[in-house]
Amino acid sequence: MKILIAEDETELQKSIATYLERDGNVCEMASDYHEALYKIDLYEYDLLVLDINLITGSGLDILKLLKRNRSETPTIIISANNSLDDKLEGLDLGADDYLTKPFHLAELNSRIKAVLRRGKFGGNDRLEFHEISIDTRSRTAYVNEHALSLTRKEFDLLLFFVTNKGRVLSKEIIAEHLWGDHSDLADNFDFIYVHINNLRKKLTEAGAKYIKTAYGSGYKFVEA
Amino acid sequence: MGDTLKKIRLIRKTSKTFLGISALLMLVSTVALYFYLRNLLRSEVEEELRSTEARIESSLIENPEPFQLSPVVEIQKVSRLGNEVLKDTIIYDPSQDEMEEFRELSTFSAINGENYRITVRALVVESENILIAVVISYLVIILLVFLFLFYVNRSRNQKLWTPFFHNLEQMKRFSLSSDAPIALMDSEILEFSELNSEIKILTNKVRSDYRNLKQYTEDVSHEMQTPLAIIQAKIENVINMEEPLDDQQFEQLTSIQRDIQRLSQMTKRLTLLTKIENNQFANIEQLDITRLMAETVQDFCEISNNVIKVDFEHPIKADMDPYLASVLCNNLVSNAIKYNVAQQDIVVGSTVDDISISNAGTTPLKHPDSLYNRFYRESDGVKATGLGLAIVKRICDLYGFGIDYRFSGDRHVFTIHFGKK
Repeated sequence: MKILIAEDETELQKSIATYLERDGNVCEMASDYHEALYKIDLYEYDLLVLDINLITGSGLDILKLLKRNRSETPTIIISANNSLDDKLEGLDLGADDYLTKPFHLAELNSRIKAVLRRGKFGGNDRLEFHEISIDTRSRTAYVNEHALSLTRKEFDLLLFFVTNKGRVLSKEIIAEHLWGDHSDLADNFDFIYVHINNLRKKLTEAGAKYIKTAYGSGYKFVEA
Repeated sequence: MGDTLKKIRLIRKTSKTFLGISALLMLVSTVALYFYLRNLLRSEVEEELRSTEARIESSLIENPEPFQLSPVVEIQKVSRLGNEVLKDTIIYDPSQDEMEEFRELSTFSAINGENYRITVRALVVESENILIAVVISYLVIILLVFLFLFYVNRSRNQKLWTPFFHNLEQMKRFSLSSDAPIALMDSEILEFSELNSEIKILTNKVRSDYRNLKQYTEDVSHEMQTPLAIIQAKIENVINMEEPLDDQQFEQLTSIQRDIQRLSQMTKRLTLLTKIENNQFANIEQLDITRLMAETVQDFCEISNNVIKVDFEHPIKADMDPYLASVLCNNLVSNAIKYNVAQQDIVVGSTVDDISISNAGTTPLKHPDSLYNRFYRESDGVKATGLGLAIVKRICDLYGFGIDYRFSGDRHVFTIHFGKK
């Protein structure tokens, strides 16, 4: 996939690119408003990661221009602004998702994949990983075509693991993905263990042993 | 000091002073006039008596036979001369057919070898009447003058002070968060006009300071998110590097992730507090608070090991911003979860217009009055931003809901009163 990252902080650009490129994506960067406009004009991208506060202009203006030109490039906004109004404005202008800084790269990655699934492939709601198949529309997961009975959180967890396969996911990242702002509530992550262990048990019973423990307290979804 | 003084309106006070001084002046001048006039009239009567007496004396020289014109003139021959007497007396007046008060002058004089006592009298009533007439007309005139002055003065004062009263009202209505300039009425009085320009300078200063402070909070919170995002992203890349880390390094990095999350939560909440203070949530709807609370509890049940019992006797409706309503419920429930004693239940209930939420505790709070202060934490044991209850309080203040805390039966109980105070 070819992704344009329009973000004025080069350090953040680079980090996002590093993370995304490991999945074989090609990332290009734009550091300000004009560079972003220029690149969008010149090249076709599969996805645009757009910061609202670009030094020389607003990301929202770029979004407006894109939509006026009937561009179908899916867009994910990343913004330091957490206000509901900004979120709604971004989504109203046609952004596909809105992520507030600071975010986990794994989270951004899984949002990107969700957006790409919905857009580019004309509503391909299926995600495959070896014998595992995930239908994101009906929210069902199959192992060798046998449906797994997963709870809501277990399904979210499996989807998060598969979209970030090969990455180490700390409990902090997982907790924030599953519970957002409430994840600071539990000091010990007992409740995560419970969910992960249940999911792992269900996958293992179906013959899919992909969830591995990493560094004692993290997790990784790996090829067997 | 100011509280001990009784407050009185300016116009009333000046009117009162004017009236008081007028009344005093009237009283004193009337009394003075009365005595002055009385003396004047007396000496006038006396002079008249003496001149009558002198005329009688000269008539006696020509005609030594004494005559009577009772009660006004009485002449008697006497053996010896006596002292002159001037006095008031009451005698019978045949012309009036009643007892009357007279001023009487008795003198003795020797005329042509005969001793006479000459008594002349004048009616006092007459001079008394004059005295009373003068004093009363004086009183009426001066009263009218004072009344006239009083009303003229009062309406003049009222007119003079109008800009002052108008500006006072404007200042009472002055709001920090509003941008509307303070509309002061100009006045020809120099001091008022000086006061106006001072007020303008002060209000502008206060407003700009307040704006700066707000802007500062917003900017800091805002600017902090990007560096945090960079740290967060770099940690994730380090965790996923080709060369594996050891478990301890990983532990350290995830601990940094937790701190980043805390910092980010804190700035988000600070921004929220500022926004509530700026009244930026104007989207008011009627909400079923009990239903919202039940939904919130359901969400938290997934994360928390605590049993949360919900028992709503009455559904409660309130007019408020839906986002703030959900923040209110979230913060109350998460506060209860954070400070609950393990293995004990959290209880949420409602009465006619209260919702209360309680969690188990061992001791009452040491400083319940600081409970809603920013960054107040009762214990260091719990990792909290110290802003949750401050936000709850602000939301309650915004909509005029009451909130109170009590510790009873080993439980911390928070109650929100949705009824209008």
